[in-house]
Amino acid sequence: MAEKRTPEAEEYLEAMARAREAGNRPTVSELASALSVSKASVSQMLAKMAQRGLVKCEKYGEIALTQSGAAEGARVLRKHRLIERFLAFIGLRRNVHKEACVLEHAVSDEVEKQMRNAMRHAHPAAVPLTSLGNGESARVAIVDAGTKASQRLADMGLTKGTRLTLIKAAPFKGPVKILVRDTTLALGRSVAGRILVEVSR
Amino acid sequence: MSVRVSMGSCCVTPNRKPETGNTVKMRIALAGNANVGKSVLFNYLTGMSQHVANWPGKTVELAEGRLRFGDYDIEVIDLPGIYSFSTFSIEERVSEEYIMGRKPDVVINVVDSTALERNLFFTLQLLELGVPVVMALNQVDAARKRGIAIDEKKLGSLLGVPVVPTVATKGLGVQKLVVCCIGLAKRRKASQGRAKYGKEVERRIGKLEAMLTGRELGFPARYAAIRLLESRGASIGYTDNKDRELAEKARRLAEEIERIHGEPASIVMSNERYAVASETATNVQSLTKGGEALAERIDDLTTHRVFGYVIMLLVLGGVFYTIFAFGGFLSTAISDFFNIFRPAGASLSGNLLWEGLVGGFVAGLTLVLPYVLPFYFLLSLLEDTGYITRVAYLLDGLAHRIGFHGKAIIPLLLGYGCNVPACIGCRIMEYDRDRLITAFAVTLVPCTARMVVILTLVAAFLGIWWAAAIYIGDIVLIAILAKAAFKVLPGEPVGLIMEMPRYRLPSLKTVAKQTVLRTKSLLTIVFPYYIGGGLVLALLQLSGVLALLNDLLQPLIVGWMGLPAFAGTLLIFGIVRKEFIVVLPSVLYGTTDLAQIFTPLQMVVLASVAMLYIPCFATIEALRREFGWKKALFITGFEIVLAVVVGGLLARLLPALGLP
Repeated sequence: MAEKRTPEAEEYLEAMARAREAGNRPTVSELASALSVSKASVSQMLAKMAQRGLVKCEKYGEIALTQSGAAEGARVLRKHRLIERFLAFIGLRRNVHKEACVLEHAVSDEVEKQMRNAMRHAHPAAVPLTSLGNGESARVAIVDAGTKASQRLADMGLTKGTRLTLIKAAPFKGPVKILVRDTTLALGRSVAGRILVEVSR
Repeated sequence: MSVRVSMGSCCVTPNRKPETGNTVKMRIALAGNANVGKSVLFNYLTGMSQHVANWPGKTVELAEGRLRFGDYDIEVIDLPGIYSFSTFSIEERVSEEYIMGRKPDVVINVVDSTALERNLFFTLQLLELGVPVVMALNQVDAARKRGIAIDEKKLGSLLGVPVVPTVATKGLGVQKLVVCCIGLAKRRKASQGRAKYGKEVERRIGKLEAMLTGRELGFPARYAAIRLLESRGASIGYTDNKDRELAEKARRLAEEIERIHGEPASIVMSNERYAVASETATNVQSLTKGGEALAERIDDLTTHRVFGYVIMLLVLGGVFYTIFAFGGFLSTAISDFFNIFRPAGASLSGNLLWEGLVGGFVAGLTLVLPYVLPFYFLLSLLEDTGYITRVAYLLDGLAHRIGFHGKAIIPLLLGYGCNVPACIGCRIMEYDRDRLITAFAVTLVPCTARMVVILTLVAAFLGIWWAAAIYIGDIVLIAILAKAAFKVLPGEPVGLIMEMPRYRLPSLKTVAKQTVLRTKSLLTIVFPYYIGGGLVLALLQLSGVLALLNDLLQPLIVGWMGLPAFAGTLLIFGIVRKEFIVVLPSVLYGTTDLAQIFTPLQMVVLASVAMLYIPCFATIEALRREFGWKKALFITGFEIVLAVVVGGLLARLLPALGLP
């Protein structure tokens, strides 16, 4: 098993793994804004992580994960998504993403395994729509927004299996803006939190 | 730029002249999703000959207009923009009832070619109604820009309907569309289109259909069968009688479908329909790389977490500033003009009669022309470009703290123009609870009439900042009261589900017509109350009842709020038209210098009370229409109490701030 990382390093790895999934290599300033820290502290942290062989700097200021960094990043991201699913499953409707960000560092691989086993009977790999990052795509798994709202959403194109992309979220816990079937929709945070999606691989 | 519109799969040759002499009457309805250019097409077809009609018994307005085309006299109806018939919303039911009940000769299905799949979803449901349908494949220019090419002939043959590509904003293809409709109407043939769904669903539709055929239905058997499945047998209204056996059967079949798919039957039907829509769209579309970088960049900017709000404040501030500045100027000019005709030196009762009759008309001019008209114009502009949905997007988070969702912003903004259409505009809220509370909040929004009071009483004598303070205080009060109302009325907070249409250049013609149409429909509601109410007041005055009422109000007016004794009369007159409150003192005292009549403190108190104390008659009537007598009267009563409490508190607190 890999040596224990600090929660901070894990957050970096997770953010980079997320970018890697979307096919991007983040720059220092992109990482800084994704993690809401200063550019200086990003550079500092990256230097430490490079020393441990987790990341390497590429051309044009892009940062890439090394093989071991990628593996660890994927592990954190996997835990994050599992925890989100778990939290959604036990009925948490708000701050699912935030809570998962805290918990992911405390959940050991052993606990993760048991959790995954227990969750096998819940819906596979579904996370709330609100936990997607900007620009991330996913497929609709479960819409559980009440009879009338669910019907409206279905009629506007959010049927099971439909691919959607989260464009961005408005501040003050405002709505999320999504693209589905060539249409841009604004969905209130509460509605979006009750739409579970599967992140496409 | 010109867009070549190729001949579609239709119908008669465009040059064919019908027999001259007798006109042929026809009826065409426009149906489709919201934001597809339906109103633009409607405006193009009907020119200025429009009016708003209320659908009997329902609170939905339909725009109607006439089109003269050769020997054809065509009545055109713009049905509300809907995404389906499945959620049983008022708009959906009205559209369905209209199409089935009034049997228009042709239904034009207006479709946004940039989002074909989503639009086809509604088309499929429309076709199940078994009426003659012509599809207007609209905004083909925008689609082309985005790299979407649609084979309209193939689409037409797949769906079994004539398809005409159009660019309604430029009128392209519209003539052909009408010719096509006439051709189809002559053949009186229902469209043959029929989507085929999954086997397990089709089998169950078939079973119900078999039970339904041969009965007197208002609907095609297949449509009724699907509706019965979707509603698990509850929508028995789709059949001729209360048939328990049929309902039971439908419920059982729906449950079978639910067991197979693990989702409610109505959602399963939506899935099935989307599957067909998606397949059809893929079949007829070819995509190349296209771009509409500018519109998207503007979208990014106007929904930005910082700049979005800056831009919003600038835009809304600009709108209000324009109305204040322009309206004040024009309003003075108009009322000065009419004052020339005012009977000079006549008795008070003469003045009141004048105010009641001519004044009602003049008020229309001094209020509607300078304030309401430009307000509607600017608002229509914001709607037409699509910006208003961005405002709703930006404010949804904040509105949620109160209990609203972002869409409530639209009627609330409208309320600053006039409360009457704003109360009606609350229909965009999906649930009754939100609709009622939004309407309640709307009646507390100072409309242009109250703006006149605040401007002439407060801004003119105490400065613009006192007026601004009243406006801001009002917003705070609305937030507190609405939040309390959401606490008191039971119910779950409802989330926002809103399409954000792509930005487009506004069509000035559409905006202008929309403005005129809105103003017209406002006048028809407001004028009778203005004139009738004015007359009643004149009678009250002449019979001495008014003086009696004024005496009865003295303890409140003078004792509690510290206003001059005649303020009671002012406030009673204000029930009809709020701006009476500043017009009457000059009639009674023969001076326009209100500073001689009121102290600064009294000005602020009176303006605040005028803003809150009661919705005007026309608004009460609008509330009654929308929510019934009980709720209308409750809101009215509540606001009287509220105004009295606030007025008295201000009269006691403001002197501490140094207001004499």
